Amino acid sequence: MTTLKLAFRSVRKSFRDFTVYFLTLTLGVSLFYVFNSIDSQQSIMSLTSGQSSALVMLNQIMSNFSILISVILGLLIIYANRYLLRRRKKEFGVYMTLGMERSQISRILVLETVFIGLIALVAGSALGVVLSQGMAVVTANLLGAGIASFKFIFSLAALRSTVLFFGLTFLLIMIFNVVMVRRQKLIDLIYAARRNERFKLPHLGRSVLLFILSLACIGSAYYLVADNGILMVPVLWSAVALGVVGTFLFFFSLSGFFLKLLQQTKKVYFSGLNMFVLRQINSKINTTYVSMTMVCLMLFVAICTLSSGMGLARAMSAATAKSTPYDASFSIDERYTLTSDNEIHIDKEYPAAGVDIMALAKERGVSLKFAKDYATVRYYTAEPNMVEVTKVSGRAVSLKNIYIQLSDYNRLLELQGIKPLALKTGEYAVSSVTPYGKELIDTMGDRLYEQTITLQDKRLSLNKSRVFFHTLETSSNEENVLAVVVPDGLLVGAPAARDVLNIQYKNPNVEPQAVANLNKFGDISQLSAGFETKAQVVEATGSITATLAYLAVYLGVVFLIAAATVLAIAQLSEASDNVRRYRLLHKVGTDDKMINRAVFAQILVYFGVPLTLALVHAVVGISIVSNLFSTFQGMKIMGSSLVAALIIIAIYGGYFMATYFGSKSVITREYAKRESET
Amino acid sequence: MSTILQVKHLEKYYGNKGNLTKALDGISFDVKTGEYVGVMGASGSGKTTLLNCISTIDSATAGQILINGQDITELGDKALAKFRRESLGFVFQDFNLLDTLTAYENIALALTILRQPASEIDVKVRRVAKLLGISMVLDKFPYQMSGGQKQRVASARAIITNPALILADEPTGALDSKSAKTLLENFEQLVSEQDATILMVTHDPVAASYCNRILFIRDGKLFNQLVRGQHSRKQFFDQIIEVISLLGGADDNA
Repeated sequence: MTTLKLAFRSVRKSFRDFTVYFLTLTLGVSLFYVFNSIDSQQSIMSLTSGQSSALVMLNQIMSNFSILISVILGLLIIYANRYLLRRRKKEFGVYMTLGMERSQISRILVLETVFIGLIALVAGSALGVVLSQGMAVVTANLLGAGIASFKFIFSLAALRSTVLFFGLTFLLIMIFNVVMVRRQKLIDLIYAARRNERFKLPHLGRSVLLFILSLACIGSAYYLVADNGILMVPVLWSAVALGVVGTFLFFFSLSGFFLKLLQQTKKVYFSGLNMFVLRQINSKINTTYVSMTMVCLMLFVAICTLSSGMGLARAMSAATAKSTPYDASFSIDERYTLTSDNEIHIDKEYPAAGVDIMALAKERGVSLKFAKDYATVRYYTAEPNMVEVTKVSGRAVSLKNIYIQLSDYNRLLELQGIKPLALKTGEYAVSSVTPYGKELIDTMGDRLYEQTITLQDKRLSLNKSRVFFHTLETSSNEENVLAVVVPDGLLVGAPAARDVLNIQYKNPNVEPQAVANLNKFGDISQLSAGFETKAQVVEATGSITATLAYLAVYLGVVFLIAAATVLAIAQLSEASDNVRRYRLLHKVGTDDKMINRAVFAQILVYFGVPLTLALVHAVVGISIVSNLFSTFQGMKIMGSSLVAALIIIAIYGGYFMATYFGSKSVITREYAKRESET
Repeated sequence: MSTILQVKHLEKYYGNKGNLTKALDGISFDVKTGEYVGVMGASGSGKTTLLNCISTIDSATAGQILINGQDITELGDKALAKFRRESLGFVFQDFNLLDTLTAYENIALALTILRQPASEIDVKVRRVAKLLGISMVLDKFPYQMSGGQKQRVASARAIITNPALILADEPTGALDSKSAKTLLENFEQLVSEQDATILMVTHDPVAASYCNRILFIRDGKLFNQLVRGQHSRKQFFDQIIEVISLLGGADDNA
């Protein structure tokens, strides 16, 4: 029974000293479960067939990405295990000197892994099940589905794949550990701790040179990306290479550079424990620059994925909300066909008088009983076509110019619950839906306001306060339309361009009724007629939004955990190495406050420096990505990355605090007991 | 008295052909049952390498090490483990106690590895604890004990299996003089009362003066031998100092 007891004891000890390792395992397991159990969430939702297939697709995409995630998590667990194992060489040496056989030591390790694996699996799955309840609500929200009834969600399939994957990982670790025990010589095990205690002193000249070189590398990487964007693949790769090399050199030279720099300013260097902390950092950064580089790059990926993915998702769902102010919109206009030489051919001109949708509805037997309110609006074509081609964000954009009369426009506003618009005599208003519209209007500036319109011999001018961004109809494809709103009566005789019927439902449940009735409009000879409902649009964009948001969180959080774990484990094991130094400080009369501050400063630097560089990288990267996308989605990632920031602070900060308190307890426990014996 | 340890022409080389270091260069000596033998020498003289070879922590390049007539340089991995748990006891400078176990459990571990019945373990542990004066700390964890207590727990663990040979590497190296004295007296007592055999590497002439016989090593070779005989500890100490000055000083703290 010794093996079992020893294994159990050492797991208990690991719990105390390596909370972070368990935290990571548990989080990893729960994330894996949550993102693989999405399809089981439909049990609480009322879904249309379209939504449920969107959910299945979402689940499929997440499971595919889980392969990548499992590779990252697997590598992380193996890394952490190796780190922890390396610290226990001496223990195995003692077992061997007591005459334990290697197979017995292997058995201890296997048992330990089984214990740890079981605990992590149980705790992680439990956490995952709890989290997935909350996530179901978010999923329903993103897909625009209602919650049918709250009930307990549990996915056996997800649990099975979680157990399978982590089981395999732990099996791999067992094999790895057994091989390690079999390979090591006793003399290397027993004297393991006495080795690698060498310091490389930094050369000021070389450090400064390398530091400048690293900044130059990073700077030129930024320049390349800023100048060329990220669409030119060869340039992008060279920028990435420069960035990686620059980051590596940065960490390689940073501590030496700062140490020397601060040594010059004696006031700072010889204040409190500064000298000690700097030396501490320096002695380790020399050997940890590779892992610091990895951590920094992982953080960069995490920040970019989290903020741009979530920003994009937010922008998309905002755009969807903006483009679907009515529950349903039915429209008729000209039908285009493309001829063989790619010319637009109009099958039949739209009748100049327009089409009376309400009369048509009566004729086709379309009942609007499901509607709470509805309104028709007619678009006209008239001269002048105010804006034809303008450059927006460096691209030529043309806006279609349509005219609407004020009473129609106000009916639309009423449907949306917006205060009606009043025009003074001689005034017109403009409204645009697309993000382009705003930019276009801004770009045109005074030119737009100087433009006057003459209709029915009346001159109309535009007041600056008469520029709006109202949506005219619910649609999945935003048209680049600039609506000119003019007083009633001025459009008599102008040719009609499109007729639209906008509807608000009595309640969301009438959707099937609405679809059935609007379908009765059927085909209208040679004209293009059709309808879109808000539910359809939300459903179409919702699955993309959900996929983006979930992928961002999934990938981002996993990278974040990976980076934080690597740092935390390195710091915690360093704390037990450094106990002797801190004990010495304690003995020479340093008070606990000062020591705690030194521990804090040391860990803060380790966590802060890679994060800072990663943030700088990310700000540059994201602003370029956001420039690229803003021209088509109106995405402002920077503004919307608050959630991302919160996630980063919660997770990274959590690991930081766990590391600080862990290190502090290792150190204080160590010298407190020293005291009690004398 | 029977010979328990025979070292014959023991050689240990480090490095490769171009840069060869002879840590042990053909050492031969015997140790009889019940002897308390000290090994002294300057740092780098090969004394720890010698101990590591005898304790099977390290492997010899050439030569033989016979313990109870059995050549341990020829043992396989499994047989080595069996040999260590049945015939050897270790005391290290830095104690090497398992910090997850209490003192009691650390001592008992040596017996459980031998698969001794639980009923016998308790009696044995308490007896050896009493012998070494650590009955009071049996329930404490290593981090709750002083250095001297830890080393006596480690010694208890080393002797509880009644090993043919106890190997001690600088056992007093990390102790203050009072703890060191207690430990050395314990060792003396083990030899005289329990008929234990101890081979102890040390650079401390005081510690060495407790031994029956001292082997002096220089450059991997046996340089000199000193037998205490009927001399008092003080006289023996003076003799040791004399040889050390002949050796060229062992005052570097290896």
